[in-house]
Amino acid sequence: MIPFNFEYYKPSSIHEAVQLFQRLDTEEKQPIYYSGGTEIISLARINILYTKAIIDIKSIPECNVLHLEKDQLVLGACLPLTEIEESNFYPLLTKTIQEIADRTARNKITIGGNICGQIFYREAILPFLISNSQVVIAGIHGIKTMPIQQVFHQHLHLKKGEFLVQMITEKADLHLPFISIKKRQQWDTGYPLITVTAAKKPSSSFIENSSNQSLTNYERIQIAFSGLNPFPYRSEEIERDLNQQHLSLEQKVDLATSHLPEPILDDFEGSAQYRKFVMKNTLQHVLSTLEVQ
Amino acid sequence: METIGKSIIRKEALDKVTGTAKYTSDHLSLPMLHAKMVISPYAHANITHIDLSEAWKIPGVRAILAGEKFPLTGEEIRDRPPIAYDKVRYCGEVVAVIVADSPAIAKRASSLIKVNYEPLPVVNSPNQAYENNAPVVHENIDSYERIKNVYPEVNTNIANRTKIRKGDMELGWQRTEIVVEADFSFSPSDHAAMETRCVIAEIREDETVVITSSSQSPFMIKKLLHVYFHIDIGKIVVNVPLVGGAYGGKASVQLELIAYLASKAVHGRKVKILNSREEDLITSPVHIGLDATIKLGCSRDGVLQAAEILYLFDGGAYSDKAVDISRAGAVDCTGPYRINNIQCDALCMYTNHPYAAPFRGFGHSEVMFVFERTMDMLAKKLKMDPIELRLINAIKPGDTTPTQLAVNKSNVGNVSECILKLKKIMNWDEGSIKQVSNTKVRSKGICCTWKNSTIDPDASSGVTLTFNPDGSINIISGVVEIGTGTKSVLAQMLAEKLKMDVRQIYVQMEVNTKSTPDHWKTVSSRGSFMAGRALLNAADDIIRQLKDLTACILRCSKVDLEVGLGKVYLKDTPDIFLNIKDICYGYMYPNGNAIGGQIIGRGTYIQRRVTYLDPETGAGNPGPEWTVAAQGIELEFDLLDYTYNVIRAATVVDVGKVLNEKTALGQIIGGMSMGISFAGRETFQFDQAGRILNPQLRTYRPLRYGEHPKYEVEFVETPVIDGPYGARSAGEHGLIGMPAALANSLSAAAEVDLNQLPLIPELIWKTKEGAVDDSL
Repeated sequence: MIPFNFEYYKPSSIHEAVQLFQRLDTEEKQPIYYSGGTEIISLARINILYTKAIIDIKSIPECNVLHLEKDQLVLGACLPLTEIEESNFYPLLTKTIQEIADRTARNKITIGGNICGQIFYREAILPFLISNSQVVIAGIHGIKTMPIQQVFHQHLHLKKGEFLVQMITEKADLHLPFISIKKRQQWDTGYPLITVTAAKKPSSSFIENSSNQSLTNYERIQIAFSGLNPFPYRSEEIERDLNQQHLSLEQKVDLATSHLPEPILDDFEGSAQYRKFVMKNTLQHVLSTLEVQ
Repeated sequence: METIGKSIIRKEALDKVTGTAKYTSDHLSLPMLHAKMVISPYAHANITHIDLSEAWKIPGVRAILAGEKFPLTGEEIRDRPPIAYDKVRYCGEVVAVIVADSPAIAKRASSLIKVNYEPLPVVNSPNQAYENNAPVVHENIDSYERIKNVYPEVNTNIANRTKIRKGDMELGWQRTEIVVEADFSFSPSDHAAMETRCVIAEIREDETVVITSSSQSPFMIKKLLHVYFHIDIGKIVVNVPLVGGAYGGKASVQLELIAYLASKAVHGRKVKILNSREEDLITSPVHIGLDATIKLGCSRDGVLQAAEILYLFDGGAYSDKAVDISRAGAVDCTGPYRINNIQCDALCMYTNHPYAAPFRGFGHSEVMFVFERTMDMLAKKLKMDPIELRLINAIKPGDTTPTQLAVNKSNVGNVSECILKLKKIMNWDEGSIKQVSNTKVRSKGICCTWKNSTIDPDASSGVTLTFNPDGSINIISGVVEIGTGTKSVLAQMLAEKLKMDVRQIYVQMEVNTKSTPDHWKTVSSRGSFMAGRALLNAADDIIRQLKDLTACILRCSKVDLEVGLGKVYLKDTPDIFLNIKDICYGYMYPNGNAIGGQIIGRGTYIQRRVTYLDPETGAGNPGPEWTVAAQGIELEFDLLDYTYNVIRAATVVDVGKVLNEKTALGQIIGGMSMGISFAGRETFQFDQAGRILNPQLRTYRPLRYGEHPKYEVEFVETPVIDGPYGARSAGEHGLIGMPAALANSLSAAAEVDLNQLPLIPELIWKTKEGAVDDSL
């Protein structure tokens, strides 16, 4: 049970929602946007979250879009995870979000809620981090569309009153060879020790040989993590390590694990040392699987 | 007509599957008040100040209980204030209680109570509690009132010590050629029943105290309210509707006391208190933890010669039932083997952890984990097949138990047959370990278990039977329907006994202590045994009355009559009979004269020749009968990352007689899943300050749908002669061996001794890495 009273609003347009936020904020009601609500309920009932006003954005049409256009996939922030799984336009995303919570909870948890939540695993962001994706953000000054790399650093950087409307992913990236692994403390239930998503993307670069320069086509591994640290991320450094063509698989993994960002989580799900061990094994598994694909 | 053994659908099934079954919390009435607890974030601290002023400002707050000295409570040692006074001794302990008009108001006000604490040094494990210079959790143990046969040790954290001294240890060690020594430990965990505990209390104008509770112990609530608060026992009425899972956790009396005090604070108005999940996990009593040290020896032929054991049970901050759990651990301190020389000290230790309730198996899954793991270590050192080692030592009629009781076929059953059947199910002869790929092995592990019930020697049960005018019968028993289907099994027994259709037998599911005959507690898998015996006596009482009346009407001798198929008839001439429906409310002659009157059956059962244990040697008769079992686990283990999946779990259990096949399977399989969950994942995680880091189901995770292995169960039927239809207890026994079997299987796969729980991959990693470090 949530021990405090709050006002509940359900605007039907983006404009109405941001206006409402501004008004409620001036009235010092500490408004928050509400999508699936699972996290708000979980945290409010134990007094970790407090608000006097909730703005439910589920009636905003743009937030419920689910369609594949000519060049891109558009996913509204208020889509429940299970709906995205069932449409399965982006198999890597399906595989990743299927491992979040359980089916009943995923009927409520939305993609926007998972990405913007306080519970820091936010695994739904991982597939977007390693693809050409953009986020659509609404605010009092209108709607903006930005590359994800510009606005997601550990968490989605939203200004006060802004909310996530849509995720847009380039069609070309939807069916790359991929792997998504979630490692837990034990068996199939629980938060991740580590979740890794990786995809193999055709790429090209100039290679300098002793005699001349040549353009070489190769497949570049793009990889993102959650659970290792108290935030999800994609690291250029680790990707560079894992894509060192001249290194053996073991060497790549060793190099990458020497570049893990600190602090590594050390909590009741697993110690930092153990997480490193799991990370190493998982990276090996990821590389060897992608090599075969 | 044979009903025994058949899979009769339980009587409350329709209500449960349609969602209309009513549990305590489903009862709402106006004007009912609601209580909410404030709990301690500290494991050990002085309470220096409580500020209630902000909480009182919330409209609708009717009473606040805090900082008041109420009578001390506790089943064996009265060491526990129902609401903390001056000091808290565990994280989650109740510090204050708010009574308000609605649950929301109570909760809001509870968050406004400010409590100042002064942290004290924390006792964070039984091993630490046992150290000489450990902080003392209770300074004045000696001042506490206590029952007979409890032995707290002054100026220590020892609430009780049970000693087992059997045979001659010196001789035992002389005969020993192979010896293993090992340490074990695991932290407290929880029952995590689906229904969180809930109590409604009111005190009526005539001072009658009415309690409705999700409890396994309605009659104990009545007794304890009388003992603690000096209420006339006849003025206490306890109602228990259906209970949504209990597993021992609802045998402890805690929330009832708080609800009573809360009602008293609002002049007897009806007050409801419902545990949140967090409170149900840590504030209410938990599943006990254990630290243990064992030394076990055998001669080269594998015959066990001596066992020296120290069990330090983590009773937590208050002793309550933990004393009895540690005593039960002493009684069956070894596996089901013939061992002539045993020295065991089972201690109930005070720590700054949540205090312990009974947990399915009552100390046995804990003790068997230690002993049966050690058996595998011994087998390895001896280079003997672990099944062979167990077969050599399996207890047989004529052998004696740790409490020096000579057993017979009836009371101990057949361990060897269980082992042999398990061997077959597990395909043991194909080998216990097999490489299935470059990185994976399949591994099997087994263990044996036994359990007697160590409930009070004078524990009893009563059953009343009444007739309906159509000759159908109502069973009224004090057994609580906690999900085990026991009351439906009682109906089956009666149907069998009276040769009736089981549909003609009705069962009163709810217990009301005013009208329902006493059943000690619905614990310790005693429901079918004790209430079954009482029921059969009540049936005999009915039969006697029916025959008396019929003999008079039919003008024949009673011994010539038989009861069955709704009739009382002449044995040799069955077509001479009376319908029971025509005589169960008296018989009327054609002229209107009537005789007989309604027939009410009455039956009781009290435990037979059970004794207290000798304080110096532990000698005595601990309980009526053992149920023995052999259990196994097969799993697939990843040699690289130490993850594993349980493929299948098997149990062969000697239940004496299967009364209802599906119900029995349900009990055994349910127990197995709970055992795997406890062994494989469930534990409270304590930080250095004794605070619990995972008091929610998001982070405390019992086995979920989809994580189950294949379950295989077979029964052995060695009747216990004094049991109803030969049946032994079976409610807990699926659970007991799972931790040991899982640990044995995993230890074999990982090639390292895994002597802690839960058996998560990180533990295996840590143990393996530790082993590597040691070898450097």
